[in-house]
Amino acid sequence: MPQLNSVYRHREFQDLLTLSGYERAGGWNGLKATLEMTPDDALYAFHRSGLRGRGGAGFPMGRKASFLPVDSGRPTYVVCNADESEPGTFKDREILDKNPFQLIEGVAIASYGVGCERAYIYVRGEYGHQWDVLERAIAECRAAGRLGPDAFGPGAPFDITLYRGAGAYICGEETALLESLEGKRGQPRLKPPYPAVAGLYDCPTLINNVETLAALPPIMHRGADWYSAIGPEKSPGTKIFSVSGHVLKPGNYEIVMGETTLRDLIFDLAGGLRDGREFKACWPGGSSVPVLTAEHLDTPLDYESLASAGSFLGSGGCIVMDDSGCIVRASWRLAHFYRHESCGKCTPCREGTGWLEKILGRIVHGDGRLEDLAMLESLFGRISGRTLCALADGAVAPVQSALELFRDDFERVIEQGGSPVPEPMGVINA
Amino acid sequence: MTAHEISEFLAPIRHEFPDQRSLILPALRFAQEEQGWLPQGAMAAVAEATGYSQAYVESVASFYDRLYTEPVGRRVISVCTTLSCMLRGSDELLAHVAANIGTNGEGTSADGMFTLQRAECLGACDRAPCLQVDSNDQQGPLTHDAADAIIGALRADGAPTRYDR
Ligand SMILES: Cc1cc2nc3c(=O)[nH]c(=O)nc-3n(C[C@H](O)[C@H](O)[C@H](O)COP(=O)(O)O)c2cc1C
Ligand code: SF4
Ligand code: FES
Repeated sequence: MPQLNSVYRHREFQDLLTLSGYERAGGWNGLKATLEMTPDDALYAFHRSGLRGRGGAGFPMGRKASFLPVDSGRPTYVVCNADESEPGTFKDREILDKNPFQLIEGVAIASYGVGCERAYIYVRGEYGHQWDVLERAIAECRAAGRLGPDAFGPGAPFDITLYRGAGAYICGEETALLESLEGKRGQPRLKPPYPAVAGLYDCPTLINNVETLAALPPIMHRGADWYSAIGPEKSPGTKIFSVSGHVLKPGNYEIVMGETTLRDLIFDLAGGLRDGREFKACWPGGSSVPVLTAEHLDTPLDYESLASAGSFLGSGGCIVMDDSGCIVRASWRLAHFYRHESCGKCTPCREGTGWLEKILGRIVHGDGRLEDLAMLESLFGRISGRTLCALADGAVAPVQSALELFRDDFERVIEQGGSPVPEPMGVINA
Repeated sequence: MTAHEISEFLAPIRHEFPDQRSLILPALRFAQEEQGWLPQGAMAAVAEATGYSQAYVESVASFYDRLYTEPVGRRVISVCTTLSCMLRGSDELLAHVAANIGTNGEGTSADGMFTLQRAECLGACDRAPCLQVDSNDQQGPLTHDAADAIIGALRADGAPTRYDR
């Protein structure tokens, strides 16, 4: 069960919260190697590494970077998505908290590749502590000349601006993030045009997740071939999984893609379940993905395998529930989340998430009827695929899959007149 | 907070944004630091400092959960109740905190010291059940006793000099 701390280098080295500590641990070697290449060669290296976006969609990072037009005659921007708000996901938080310089270096590397002189890091409003850490790290980089007028060599400027959100899950969606960064309400844009062509201030923009960008320094230092040789061909590299819920050792685990199974992650790394409890379900890639059952535990953790199992790798936020939990109650709680976070721009999402919450709520509270299940089923297709952004699909996926895989549980809750509040696990960690 | 103070705060970062509209959110956050929420006067000051209408500034502010357009307590306690926290006892934690500060569920305590709110995933599910005071580091996993200790310490601290929600 190979673990490799390539992004989480703070788990291997001391003192990564100071610039000098980061330098002693080999920091900036990735940028140094990058600056010796042409920007085109840097882009080609991103591409050859096989690195895929870690924010949820898994789109190849190098390919996305190559979509930016070179001769638009306008500035080019790199935007780092540090809005981390997907339920069950807290991997970026640890990078911001413990290894901020590696993110800064990664943002610089991507920026050199696409010709960007000012990058933005959009941090979710709730991450006040993480913001402070990052702000200090950036100030230290500026004072040392790592950021500023000569960052990429004499007369070759590069700098990073931090931008703070103010509490809205939807601002993690890339075009909503751009709207927010432009000083507007954070509502998604119609795509196309994609941000690569018309992004921030209508200019070519590369948007990547924190973990994606923080993966770049070791890739550029050790070489794209080193990275692409780790794990399966289509999903190379390492991936951080955040494990939470009914496990004894909740936390972040950086694993080699494809060489660890869901069972290894939950039962070995995350400490397994309490004595006497059986595994019931897990949402392996944040809450916006189809739920999996005990039958799927031997699935290797990589994009393709999780998709063949019927779910998605998503953000890597693996929420685990044992048999003390109720799948109907869990689905209701997730429906509440999406109803609360829907930005309201599209009717199927605004109304549909409201209906999902309402119907699941009445089943949980004992007012459900068997016809409600048919009503839920008729709703799914009227919401999914009919909206501006993927929030609505993410709202449907966990509920639809739960109803498919655990229909008996839904029927039993209706027949029994509701789902009693289970005894929560509370504070028992290994 | 005056428009002048906001302008002074914005001066060193203005050049970082090709479109000055981007300054509205930082200005709103800064304005909120004084009273912990955004009264009409603060909205007007942000409008003046950024050159946008007050109506526009308010339409932006109203979109974001952590910008408060109504008065809130001196401390805002957010208890996460999303799935990972629910499985670990968030609803019980929320009820316990409410009983401690004397609110009936979400709301502001009679003495104006605390506002309790239910939050969505705070990005700290490894600390479930967890809560966050203003936008300080998320705390958990919390027993009810540990939550009482946090609230007791906040009572002893009184009001912060600067509100970071
Ligand atoms: C509703 C919604 C919320 C999202 N939230 C986040 C988020 O918090 N962080 C993130 O990196 N990506 C999030 N995404 C994905 C982004 O839109 C985008 O795909 C990502 O930032 C691209 O970076 P990557 O290619 O490095 O993954 C979200 C998408 C949707 C539809
Ligand atoms: S799908 Fe939902 S969240 Fe996304 S733009 Fe439409 S209403 Fe807003
Ligand atoms: S579910 Fe509570 S912090 Fe994530």
